[in-house]
Formats: sequence, C-alpha cells, structure tokens
Amino acid sequence: MTVKWLMHWQPKPGTTLSTQILTEACQCVESIGGQKDGRWRSVLTFYKPMQRDALVPVDHPRDFLGLALQEQPAKYYFILRPNRIVLEADASIQVIMEKLQSYKARVTLNFEGFQYKLGDFQLRVGKCVPSASEALRGIMMEVEYIPLSSIDKSRQVLEEFFDIWQETISKKSLPGHFMHIESNFADYGLQDRYTSHHTAVQYATCMAQLIAAVRC
Amino acid sequence: MMIPAAGPVAASSQQNTQDPADTTAEAPPKQVATAMERLSRAARLIADVRIGADRLLEALFLAAESPYQSNKSIQLVLKEESAMRKHFQDLRSLGKQLEDSGVLNGSVKLRGNSWGLHMPLVCPDGAVVAYAWKRQLAGQAGASAVDRTRLALKAFTDQKRRFFPHLEDEAFTQCSEGELGVAKKPCFSHGLLPGHKDELREERTLPDIINSLQCIAPDIKIYTYQRLDWLKRASSLSSLPSDHLVDSSNEYGLQSSSNSTSVLGNAASISEDQVAVIELLSPSVFRAVVSLHPTGSMSPDAVAFFSTDEGGSYVHARGRSVFHVFWHVTEYADKALQYFQSTNVDTSLSLILRWICSYQTLFTKVCSKCERLLMMDESLALILPPVHRAYQNTSASNSHPNQLTASDRGHGSDFIFAYHIGCSNNDL
Repeated sequence: MTVKWLMHWQPKPGTTLSTQILTEACQCVESIGGQKDGRWRSVLTFYKPMQRDALVPVDHPRDFLGLALQEQPAKYYFILRPNRIVLEADASIQVIMEKLQSYKARVTLNFEGFQYKLGDFQLRVGKCVPSASEALRGIMMEVEYIPLSSIDKSRQVLEEFFDIWQETISKKSLPGHFMHIESNFADYGLQDRYTSHHTAVQYATCMAQLIAAVRC
Repeated sequence: MMIPAAGPVAASSQQNTQDPADTTAEAPPKQVATAMERLSRAARLIADVRIGADRLLEALFLAAESPYQSNKSIQLVLKEESAMRKHFQDLRSLGKQLEDSGVLNGSVKLRGNSWGLHMPLVCPDGAVVAYAWKRQLAGQAGASAVDRTRLALKAFTDQKRRFFPHLEDEAFTQCSEGELGVAKKPCFSHGLLPGHKDELREERTLPDIINSLQCIAPDIKIYTYQRLDWLKRASSLSSLPSDHLVDSSNEYGLQSSSNSTSVLGNAASISEDQVAVIELLSPSVFRAVVSLHPTGSMSPDAVAFFSTDEGGSYVHARGRSVFHVFWHVTEYADKALQYFQSTNVDTSLSLILRWICSYQTLFTKVCSKCERLLMMDESLALILPPVHRAYQNTSASNSHPNQLTASDRGHGSDFIFAYHIGCSNNDL
C-alpha cells in the first residue's frame, strides 16, 4: 500500500464552488506533466440509525460513515469518528445492512474525477456530488507517492509535493486553496505502514471540514 | 548546427528559386522535397562560408608572418570578401524562401494546407528530419544520429561491463563518461567514504566489512546469500501480503533466518566463500542488492536499488526497479561502482557498500545545491528527490563541521552531499 494524502478545496469565504475550479486543477496537473490514467470514484455514505419506536431513546452512534474505495472493490469501510473506530468489512455488508434495516443511508456522496500518473506520483482530482442532486459540494484531491509505504518516511516528500502543487495552482488565482488536514492515525489504532484504513480515516476527517465549508 | 559532410542533392533539376508562391500549389511531398533540397543547399552555403572564413584567417596570418608579401594577402582578402558576400546573400535569400514555405517556423500549420503532413523540421539539436512524427516513431525524444550513437555506446558499455568486468580500466571509464556527455562531477565526500585508505585496508574479509558498516550505519540491515537463495528470497518477497504487515522488521528477521543467511557478522550459517549476493535493507526506504563475482570474492560486479515493497524474480543486482526514483539511483550506482573499481579494486566492495548506506536519507536529505527535496526534472518530466550522492574522494578531504545540518549529525558520519540529477551537473 502506498502513502496517500487527501486534500480538499477550501473556498474563500463568500465565494461559491464551480466546476471551473476543477477544470483549472486538472489543467494544472497536466501542466506539471501528469498523464491522464483513467477515472476514479469513491462513494461515501452517511448513515443514520432507524428508529422503530420514536419513544425509545437511541444509543446508536450518530456520526457513522461508510466508504467504498475504488482500489478495494471487495471491501467496505466503516468509520465512527467520535469513537475513533475504523473497520474493514466485506463489500457484501451493504446488502446485509439493507436487510437488517437498522441503519438507513441519509446522504450518499460520490467522489468522481480523473486519475493522473506523474512519474512515481499518482494524483486524483475530482468533484464531490451528492447522489440525489447534481449540486457541486466540494472538490477533492488524492496524492499518492507509490515507492514508499511508511507514513513517517514519506512525510517530507509529500509535504514538498504539496508545496509545489500549491505554487502551481496559486498561479491560476482561483478563489480558495487546497488544504491537507493531518489525521491522527494513532488515535484509530493504525500503524505507520499505510493501508486503506488510513484512507478511510482521512476521508472522515475531510468530511467534517467539507460540510463546514459548504452547507449540506 | 549539424552540417552533413556531403549534403544530399535532390536528383531533380534546380527548382525555381524565386517563386515562394509555388509552394502553396504543390502537393505536400513535393513541398517536402523542395524544402529538403533547400536545406541541403543552405548547409552547403554554410560550409562555404566556413571555408571562406578559414581562408580569410589564413590570409591574415600570412600578412602577419611576412609583411613584404602584403600585396598578395590583400588580394586574397579581397577575393574572399566578395565570395563570402555572395554566399551570405545566397544564404539570406534561401533563408527567406525556407521561411516563406514554413520550414523554419510553423506557418504551414497556421495556413492549414499541410494535408496532414508537417514541413521538414529543423529540430533544436540541429538535426533535420523530413517529417516531425518520424521522431516519435523512432521511440525517442531525440532520434538524431548523435542520440542514436550515444544510446549505442551506452548499450555497448553496459554489455561490456556485464560480460567482461575484468576488462574495466580507468582510461575506459574516463573516456566513456566524456563521450556520453553526461559526466557528473560530484563534490568532495567525507565520513562514509574514509579519507584514509588505511581504514579500508584493515577490512580484509567480508565479515570485517559488514561489522564496520554496522557501526557506521546502524539502521541498515545487511544480509548475505548464496545466489540461488537470493532468487528464492526475491520471489518470496512479492508474496508478502502488504496490508497485513504490522512490524516489518520482524518479518525480515524471520525470513532471513529461514534462508540460512548470515546476519550481522554471524557467519556460521554460510561460509564466506559461498557468498554471492549482499542485501542492504534500509527499512521502509530502500533495498539494495549487490552481486559478487566470482562467488566468495570481494569484488562487486553489479548493484541495483529497489523499493522495500518490491518483490519478484526481477529483484536482483542487474534488475530494474519499477519506480523511477530507484531506477535513477541504480543508474547512478553503476557509475559509482565503475569509479570505485577503477580507482582501487581491493577496497571497491567496502566503498560501494558504504556509499549505498548514504542513501538511507534518500527521502529526507535536501539537495546540497538547491536546498530542496523534490525537483521537477524537465528533461525526464519527473519529480524526483536528490538521487545522486557524491562518490569521488579526495585524499585531503576533512569533514567540515560547520557545513553539517542537524540531520547530518543525527546520522552519524553521513557527510556525503546529495544532488538532484539536474543540480549535480554544475557543481565544482
């Protein structure tokens, strides 16, 4: 598993998101030498507990996220942020959940866009769109440095790449900037060696920011 | 500009040189032929100009040598001057024709009547090709004769090194570096490459070398293998499930003991004369494989770098990593190995192993020239960390404490300077 950083677009307060920003970001990637490699798609679902009896107080966790990643088609990831739990399950768990009817999908967000190869780096740039509507909710980027799988050893490399990326994109004078939030992997019991669990945690961390930036 | 020795002359008779409007009415192949012919004429004119300049210089020299023959030299100069003037005029008009027909600029493309063909290109390195796409077909960015020769020479030296390592000598390595035109002149190095040859002479056996390496670079794990054992290990590396490794150092410890390798000087399991492969592992950073030839000797003949996640039968001293960064380090390591072998065969193993250890900071040490970690290399279109480490040593080298950064001191004697590919060309 290679190390990945998630970055989301933080628009300037008062400005709105537009697909223009996404196009500009894709152009930036191509300007630094990225080769388009295909499409990518991840699906994030917010679950809310189903209450059979409205009177009985519910003690199910509120902030319950489910994540389907393109690179792990056979798996499904659950993240409980308040409890700092991340769990990997088989993809068929979604069917089971539907049958059990204990949780209902409240909002489903689709992350989709293009994948680029830039030497030993792999970049993904995409938009965040709820499945119910066509409104643009956010713009996300994934940067992966393939030769390394230790988070610690790759930190400097990814930091510098982030700096280079910021420099490139700031030339376009777009209203806003990309941000990377450090996730505390140790809290979730994860090791230094990067795995899809780490990706799931990063998505969860991003969600809080993304929702705050754009009213859901 | 590259001048062909004898410009090819079109078999057709002289074209009408004064009518650029003709080109628009001609079909592209004819345009191309016309343009090619004009270019060859231009080349001849340039050659004439050069000869004329030589003659002028000769005349001036003659005048300086024997002043009493000044009349003769004056005549020569005048004659040459008028000839040169004519050449320049011809060249100017030819240039204008070429420009009009769109060879030296992109005007044909703009006019849109190129019928899908592009006019002959004068490429930046001076080569002239009839169709621009031919260069792409050749598979190289620059498929001129110079580049093809360079590539052929590189292939030849690679094979020579591989099959005839005993024929390596200093003259050849110096010669090949110059010809390849990519001579990197690394800066002085300290520490890992000892300034005193005596230090190295004390390391007479393989266990000695390994022991001293452990002192210098305690984070690097060193294992030795028989040749077949290494192939087995390399293939088994790929079958390690990557997501389930919690503590990678434990894994490797287990693997090595099951492969009857000697670890940290514990040479009980395989004897010195059976060692053919040395593995240097910097956990989570790199894995370097050094091959010894003949088996049991202390002469390295190949080295290659890989990611710690790579596995498979291609992971060996002559293999190629799938990652650009490690591939470039491997290429540079070849040069370092050649250098060490050419300067002192006895200590080449010790030197190359120490030099390999300097790469534990591959992803953390900034370039000594531009002081950044990542750099976009324009010619390769890759973003790479500093993949070059200095390997040339001077006898008078001393460590300069004031040049060290905090991270250098933390790594003990790791005083070797790191450079990006583009940065190491210009130092010294």
